Amino acid sequence: MSAQKSKKKTHSAMTRERITTYGLFCLPGFIAYCVFLIFPILMGIYYSFMDWNGISKGYNFIGFANYAKLLTDKKFGAALLFNFRYTIMLIVGVVVISVVLALLLNKEFKGRSFFRTLYFLPAVLSMITVSLVFKQVFFYVLPAIGKALGIEALSTNILASKQNAIYGVLFVHLWQGVALPTLLFLAGLQTIPTELYEAAAIDGANGWQQFKHITVAYLIPTLSVVLVLLVKQGLMVFDYVKSMTAGGPGTATQTIALLIYNNGFERNRYSYSIAQAIATGVIIALISAIQIQASNRKKVD
Amino acid sequence: MRTTKKGKFFLYLILTLGALLILFPMYITITTTFKTPAESAVSFFTLPKSLYLGNYATVLQDEKLYYAYGNTILITVVSLLGEMLILPPMGFALSRGMKQNRFFKGLYFFFLLGIFLPWQVRMMPVVKLMGWLGLLSPLGITLLYIAHATCESMFLYVGYLATVSDSIEEAAYIDGASTFQIYTRVILPLMTPILSTVLIREGLAIWNDFQMPLITLNRSSKLWTLTIYLNNFQSELSVDYNLSFACLMLTCLPIVIFYIIMQKQIMGGLTSGAVKG
Repeated sequence: MSAQKSKKKTHSAMTRERITTYGLFCLPGFIAYCVFLIFPILMGIYYSFMDWNGISKGYNFIGFANYAKLLTDKKFGAALLFNFRYTIMLIVGVVVISVVLALLLNKEFKGRSFFRTLYFLPAVLSMITVSLVFKQVFFYVLPAIGKALGIEALSTNILASKQNAIYGVLFVHLWQGVALPTLLFLAGLQTIPTELYEAAAIDGANGWQQFKHITVAYLIPTLSVVLVLLVKQGLMVFDYVKSMTAGGPGTATQTIALLIYNNGFERNRYSYSIAQAIATGVIIALISAIQIQASNRKKVD
Repeated sequence: MRTTKKGKFFLYLILTLGALLILFPMYITITTTFKTPAESAVSFFTLPKSLYLGNYATVLQDEKLYYAYGNTILITVVSLLGEMLILPPMGFALSRGMKQNRFFKGLYFFFLLGIFLPWQVRMMPVVKLMGWLGLLSPLGITLLYIAHATCESMFLYVGYLATVSDSIEEAAYIDGASTFQIYTRVILPLMTPILSTVLIREGLAIWNDFQMPLITLNRSSKLWTLTIYLNNFQSELSVDYNLSFACLMLTCLPIVIFYIIMQKQIMGGLTSGAVKG
């Protein structure tokens, strides 16, 4: 009896020791998270109800006026529309290209590791490096090719065209952005047991049927990860437009992230830009929640 | 799967075209750095006639380049050290504590919140806050990277530790080890694979980051990181593309060399992180 009791006692003392140590282990991260992540968000919510320009000493409470202004702000609407258009094209482009590349790179052939190394290289470069290289290529190099070959569309700088600048930015994003999804899909393909294909072939399934029923089914988990990544990238695209077009020509490539940055840091519309950021944040959080919900439902099926 | 001869031809055709698309801007970048302005005005596509080193010499004389290198290395190293010191024990504590105690479960969900909040939402307040605290410096913003990693990296650790059975640590407890000893002697060695994954992911992300330094360190060229230096270099000297390309080469060389040496680990690190995160 007493032996059992003392055992219990040491057990609870041990648990207390564990809990204390766990708590101490969490403390620095908890402080950093509260001070530099949660607190700035609370600050932002507070300022979004003010009319602060970010510099002046005083400011006034204006309630939801900043949020109300969003609804009629044409620039905000246009930027949002740009981001949605851009994101859809980005998703289609990245998914198609990276699935095709992954299927090709999954085959056995000489030089495979060379191609894999090369195709993944863009992913380790900074977006700024890639943007600036292409900015020069679009500015000097492609027009030179276009002129030499007599192709009209190529002979001017694509980034200077109001209609086509979006495709210039998108091309650069694809150039760099397909690398990681390709590798993810490649890893997904390697989880498919080869016996499945053999069995399907015996049952008389042709290549397309095998792709549709086996390959696609196995790639869906990867696809949902890639979609989450791409939606976030597309809706928040900043580095490429900031360094290649600065939102131009005119406002042709003005994205939400760039608009928020310009309002907050360059046009001294501090409170208003925070309201824009919060509204966009809510939209993105909703979209990701729907995405996660949808991919969970797929898993259950 | 076996591939037919025709299939193989198309395979190589498509992959080679893709490779050319990737190599073309690199070829232009490298060759242009060795050309004089007059030479590249004639043609971008030919190989340089001689290895003209004037572009590199000019960029290498720019002291801003050295500040940018110094700051980028400092920020990356200090942030990674801080993250490695603080976050793996926290991941361990949350992963084990969650099973025994509701408080840690709540804490876990509190940290989960951070993943859903886009960076833009706190971008402007962060600059004000850091200004008040006097932390708008390369060393100061390492705190932001560490705080930022409390969500993303922590979930990688918790996810990884969920697959590590606790039988070894329970045995160590029975032998009288303290929780701290168990962390340093048992858990930390077991975490090596996920630690290297996180190091590579975070290292590349911090080294290549543009937005955070742009809003916090753009005041003085002594505070610039490499990405800020690059961006500002080109907007100041956009006319001289030979210099621009030389500058691009000099700033991305370490990453390319690092990639060539460590490509297996880098590919593994970036993909396993993305799937679990």
